Amino acid sequence: MADIEIEIDGNLVNAKAGEILIAVTDREGISVPRFCYHKKLSIAANCRMCLVDVEGAPKPQPACSTPIADGMKIHTQNEKAKASQKAVMEFLLINHPLDCPICDQGGECELQDVAMDYGSDVSRFTEGKRIVADSDIGALIQTDMTRCIHCTRCVRFGAEVAGIMEMGATGRGEDLKIEPFLEEGIQSELSGNMIDVCPVGALTSKPFRYELRSWQMNAVSNVARHDLVGSNIITQTYKGKVKRIVAKDNESINETWISDRDRFSYEGLSHENRLLAPQIKVEGTWKEVEWNVALDFATRGLANNVFNTHQTDKLGALASNTATLEEFHLLQKILRSVGSENIDHRLNVKDLDNAISLESSIKLAGLEGVDHALVIGSNLRLEQPMISHRLRKANLSGASIDVINAMAFDFNYRLNSENIISPNQTAAMLAGVLKSVLQNAQVEIPDYLVDIKVNDVATQLAEKLSQSDNSVIVLGEHIVNNPQAASIANLVSEIAQHTNSTTLNVSATANSMAANMTGFVPGKGGLDVNAMLAADLKAYILLDIYPQYDFHHSLQAVEALSNEDTFVISLNSFKDDAVAQYSDVLLPIASFYETSGSHVNVEGEVQSFAAAVNAPSDTKPAWKVLKVLADLLELPGFHYADSTQVTSEVMHQSHKQHVHGESIDVKVKRGVNVIWQKSPYAVDVLSRHATSLQATNIGQINSASMNKATAKKLEVAQDDEYLGVPVAINEAVANNCVFVNANHSTGVQS
Amino acid sequence: MISNKAKKQIDAWVAKYPEGHQSSAVMEALKIVQAENDNRLTSDTIQAVADYLAMPGIAAAEVATFYENYNHKPVGKHTIRFCHNISCMLNGSDELITHLENKLGVKTGEVTPDGLINVKKVECLGACVGAPMFQIGDQYYENLTADKIDEIVDGLK
Repeated sequence: MADIEIEIDGNLVNAKAGEILIAVTDREGISVPRFCYHKKLSIAANCRMCLVDVEGAPKPQPACSTPIADGMKIHTQNEKAKASQKAVMEFLLINHPLDCPICDQGGECELQDVAMDYGSDVSRFTEGKRIVADSDIGALIQTDMTRCIHCTRCVRFGAEVAGIMEMGATGRGEDLKIEPFLEEGIQSELSGNMIDVCPVGALTSKPFRYELRSWQMNAVSNVARHDLVGSNIITQTYKGKVKRIVAKDNESINETWISDRDRFSYEGLSHENRLLAPQIKVEGTWKEVEWNVALDFATRGLANNVFNTHQTDKLGALASNTATLEEFHLLQKILRSVGSENIDHRLNVKDLDNAISLESSIKLAGLEGVDHALVIGSNLRLEQPMISHRLRKANLSGASIDVINAMAFDFNYRLNSENIISPNQTAAMLAGVLKSVLQNAQVEIPDYLVDIKVNDVATQLAEKLSQSDNSVIVLGEHIVNNPQAASIANLVSEIAQHTNSTTLNVSATANSMAANMTGFVPGKGGLDVNAMLAADLKAYILLDIYPQYDFHHSLQAVEALSNEDTFVISLNSFKDDAVAQYSDVLLPIASFYETSGSHVNVEGEVQSFAAAVNAPSDTKPAWKVLKVLADLLELPGFHYADSTQVTSEVMHQSHKQHVHGESIDVKVKRGVNVIWQKSPYAVDVLSRHATSLQATNIGQINSASMNKATAKKLEVAQDDEYLGVPVAINEAVANNCVFVNANHSTGVQS
Repeated sequence: MISNKAKKQIDAWVAKYPEGHQSSAVMEALKIVQAENDNRLTSDTIQAVADYLAMPGIAAAEVATFYENYNHKPVGKHTIRFCHNISCMLNGSDELITHLENKLGVKTGEVTPDGLINVKKVECLGACVGAPMFQIGDQYYENLTADKIDEIVDGLK
């Protein structure tokens, strides 16, 4: 688009032809009032607040829907513009209640701000105001629809961004109401953004209701650690407590949106289950003690069980995926300093010989520019909401998206093809795709593909990948425990290489990229998590682990850790019965937003953050606990004044561990395959304690889905229990496959 | 929820629009489905129409609540659609509506106990020349007076 020159309020401004006027004024810092316009949503031009005077136009024009042209002369402040804006303001205030003192939006309300500038101090309206009944739209959003000014931002957000149109404008004229159609409440995993886009107090945060005014809180920039995106957020705090979380703009990471998980999980921080004081177990009973006593007890336990008997190879360290980069680094450094390589964070992986390592080769922002995507083994919307959103954007601008899954999930965009196959067939299917790709490229077929039959689906998928200029292959969480996981990762990397596709590995979530970066995996001669649990270790240091949620082999894990001869030091942010059963020392640590640290997202971007609040009560940030523990063990090289020194140490070293084999197995396996996935709001300990999140529809997902034939084979029926989870008969699941979404502790053994 | 006959009628409308734009047929579809469900729509029937046209339920509800032709409450065998816009109002429609309500013993929006008649206030029906007026079925009744209304209503069976 050509550069043109326009005149705004007498000043010459450069812009591109066809740009929307309000985008230009925003860029130039010229204030134009608006309610319905939002830079990320379509143009509605229904609030009329942004009327400006365009020379030559008989009537004032809405800046949000006026494309600019060369030589245009615009007045945003002259009498005509001001008069129009004031008239619209008066009109909007006719039915708006004067209840700012009891409105949660007060102090951060666009209507309030604009009314200060453009409103009249006395209303000429003496008739009765209309009142609109509220609808209960779920546990996260509080409605006060009498305050609604019908800007339809929430409606457009649902239809355009969230991908499910849930709110709508029903009725007309004075009876127009913004409301959801269904009574079950809002279903979207991004619904909280409606609170952010609402310019008035019609939609506000339910957990935050009547808590505080915005000006009473401190705002600290932070990074959400629940998924692989690392969405930028603002934690709003008051007297040492996180009170609310809102989105922070970062175009390359989360644009202006955040998922509900990122927004509402903070509620867990003040849950009564927090572990708040150090404890030691003396003769089978727990005793609260001072930190120095607990740490002394811990070091003595390690000395007795490991160091004095020269069995440092009998010491293991395990960490949850939500730990910070610094915590991973310090814990592995302690282990390696004393000579143990028993380090692991991949607790949910059933078979670690089969673990995936696949590099992601695309940026988050790049995802919306792809013209084709192949998603394998993922319920992407609920696993990585912001990544799914980027793919949806790509899809809306024409990208075709193919899916290979074990169950038909609810995608909020149009799929080119949805291939529902058992996990046992995934490797064979991809082998077919690779073979077809190689045949098309006239490359020699390797031995392991010679016997593979290429079916129509494989041919079509291969064709799509080969023909697309910019395609991406996404590997999701369900692949982690696929019997041929490593082969699938190898096949994907081969396919990507021969089709010039990029890859996106979202198979391990939260801060697992940081674990990889710090080398938080067994080194030479070290044991992986499953080997450790089988090997009768003498001592463990465990970082924020809740066995029944985190381990794949949860029962074996609890049993192994409960061994009387095993000394277990647990750093935990929440109390847990199983942890209390097997631990000898409990060290209370800071949770999300209470510690400084870093998150590494799927593209490898390291984002550091400061603590938004102090660690509550007697808890300490885990990186400090680990540092002091190292000092007490008299280990060299742990002199850090703050966590950023740890960060820079990590940045200056290079750890590269190749963790899976090169072999490729493409045979179709037999038997029923169980895909076990934690419910979206049960992925980490903080979300599990966020009561409002748990009360949502997504928070209550808890089912073992299977089709009729599989149910018959397993001899279960609808609502029976399978692996401790209610059975849901659902023909959307592939044959011979059980898809378990559990929101509570597992009993899984397989 | 939607009979096969209705589906066929809807399909004929869907065929008039380009492929992928089946939701354009929502107004006719709602009309067809309303006709075979006691002349009214419920959230279930609206959702059924939305599902059939692969559109969000709320989008169909927006249409169904916007136009006067869709009924959301039970209706009688005959719906008296009484215009209360400016011309009719200036010619006394308010008084005549009160008269009609008193005669039938029900308010606008309600159905007579025998299920025969309900009264609905509607916007301008384009017959200002004969104001005040109402519509029953496809028939307009113009230049209404209290006596004329009594006569018409008494004739309804």
